[in-house]
Amino acid sequence: MATLTHRRIGAHPWPAFAGFAVAVAGLVAMVISLFFPITGLFPKPWPVEPLAYLGIAGVVIGLALAVGAYVTDGQRRRHSNGFQDVGDWSRLTEQQFETFQHDLGRPMRRILGKCREVRGVLAATGEDVSIVVHELLDEIEEQAPSFRLMMANMQVMINLETPEAPAESYPVEPTAVVSRIVERYTGQAMEQGKDIAWWSEPQEFGLVYSDAAALEHIIANLVDNALRYGGDYIEISTTRGAETFRVDVTDNGPGIPAHYRSHLFTRGWTPEMGRSEEKTSSGLGLYISRTLAHRYGGELSVTSVVAPQPDHCTTFTLTLPVGAPEA
Amino acid sequence: MSPRSGNILVVDDEATSAIVRAVCRRLEDEGWSTRVVSKEEHGSADDMLWAALEEIEESLPDGVILDVRLGEYRDDHFKGLDLLKRIVADRPHLPVLMFTQYSHGVERDTVARSALQVEAPVEFIDKLASPEEVALRIRRLVGAEPETIAIGSRIVLDADAGAVLIKYSDGQLAAVNDVRGRRFEILRELAQAWYRSPGNVVPFDRLERYLEGDDTRASLRVRIREIKVAMGRALEQPLGANDFIVSVRDRGYRLLPPRE
Repeated sequence: MATLTHRRIGAHPWPAFAGFAVAVAGLVAMVISLFFPITGLFPKPWPVEPLAYLGIAGVVIGLALAVGAYVTDGQRRRHSNGFQDVGDWSRLTEQQFETFQHDLGRPMRRILGKCREVRGVLAATGEDVSIVVHELLDEIEEQAPSFRLMMANMQVMINLETPEAPAESYPVEPTAVVSRIVERYTGQAMEQGKDIAWWSEPQEFGLVYSDAAALEHIIANLVDNALRYGGDYIEISTTRGAETFRVDVTDNGPGIPAHYRSHLFTRGWTPEMGRSEEKTSSGLGLYISRTLAHRYGGELSVTSVVAPQPDHCTTFTLTLPVGAPEA
Repeated sequence: MSPRSGNILVVDDEATSAIVRAVCRRLEDEGWSTRVVSKEEHGSADDMLWAALEEIEESLPDGVILDVRLGEYRDDHFKGLDLLKRIVADRPHLPVLMFTQYSHGVERDTVARSALQVEAPVEFIDKLASPEEVALRIRRLVGAEPETIAIGSRIVLDADAGAVLIKYSDGQLAAVNDVRGRRFEILRELAQAWYRSPGNVVPFDRLERYLEGDDTRASLRVRIREIKVAMGRALEQPLGANDFIVSVRDRGYRLLPPRE
């Protein structure tokens, strides 16, 4: 496991060696001055041994040089993409995040578990409780998908900032990915009185070469947004072309005005910002999704028909290469 | 109503936790029987691993729900992956749903890829997933549709009997006589697609296989309307354009269970 504290000898910046050398020379000069004072050599003796002055100055300048070298070297490494330590740093962050995610997930699981236990008891006993109790339980349950997506977004974010993270492709069945997303959001959609439909063209879609986790993450963000901001009907379609395949996520909501659409993929932007209201989400989902799409050689775009026009809707289109392996 | 019969093995060090209990309860509500290999029963992660393998040999489950972490000791953190590798090696066609907090990490990709190489039906799902999501995933992983499919709490499609049954408030089941033959086949096609994956649109041509004549599309429209009228009468609630069987423009139809 890589650590931040471990540094190889070769990883030290050379100006630091020079600084240490000056500091050591200064120390030597100070020691010499103790045993071989040279003040007596001058016609008018100095009140303080000159070598001691030189030695102190050497130590101070040398140490300053060394510290300066480390600081500038650290900054240079952080801001460049080609250094091993940046990768180490990102991997460490990822490992720490996984621990953090697990630790944070534990109380979340307990809360959700208790919530589901209460539901189970109510169902088993047939006890007639106030609708408010059910609404409260629903509200607790509704936090789980947001939490899961937030954690996944953070993890992908860390991964994207790892310069050496490879964009590997392997056989993926896009319709299985879409099925997983639908399974994940169907319950939530039903709770909200909404409806998700999906289809693929051709029906036997087959395999493409991509990254299932990335694909799932992008579509999850799009469906989550559609449920949050869209209408009561969401349609996911997957269509295959000769060289690319596309996934469209359409909702029948009021549409997104053009002046908002231009900001949608900006990191940290949320619709509330345009209205000077408090943010209700991180504004990372679409930024991450488009960055992932680009990483895998694809594109994520949006079109929208804004109410009061008839058939108002918003469609996010993800296009990715089919990515057949080279012969 | 438990029309499904099947057997799911759950291997989890937190098998007595409320999260796992809720999943088991949901599966049992759907008619699956569940058997749990827990730490409480078997003590260590290694014992759990061997107990699970033994259980798979003996009870031949239709699917396994497996945690990645089988204990708090560092060595046990990925013990579930060791068990997964053994299952994939011994029984490559046994569906395994990894029920884990590590559903997004690097480990997942590694295992997913190695599992894909042998075409094993292995998927990952987050421990925070709702019991409904776990049950839906198990349905799809296990694959084969049951002979009887419950559509909501009041409708049961019985493929064996070739009939749709309605459950009344007194618990009695009665067949819907007007949904037989081709109408039943169309409804069964829609119900199976919905069972495998909710919201899945069945293309027109797939449904038109059950019809004859020059204009099968128009004929299909008529049959769908007849099914909806019959079901609406049986349920004592008229079914509108966006109820029960819904048309998706230029694509096909999908089943939408009545809202409860």
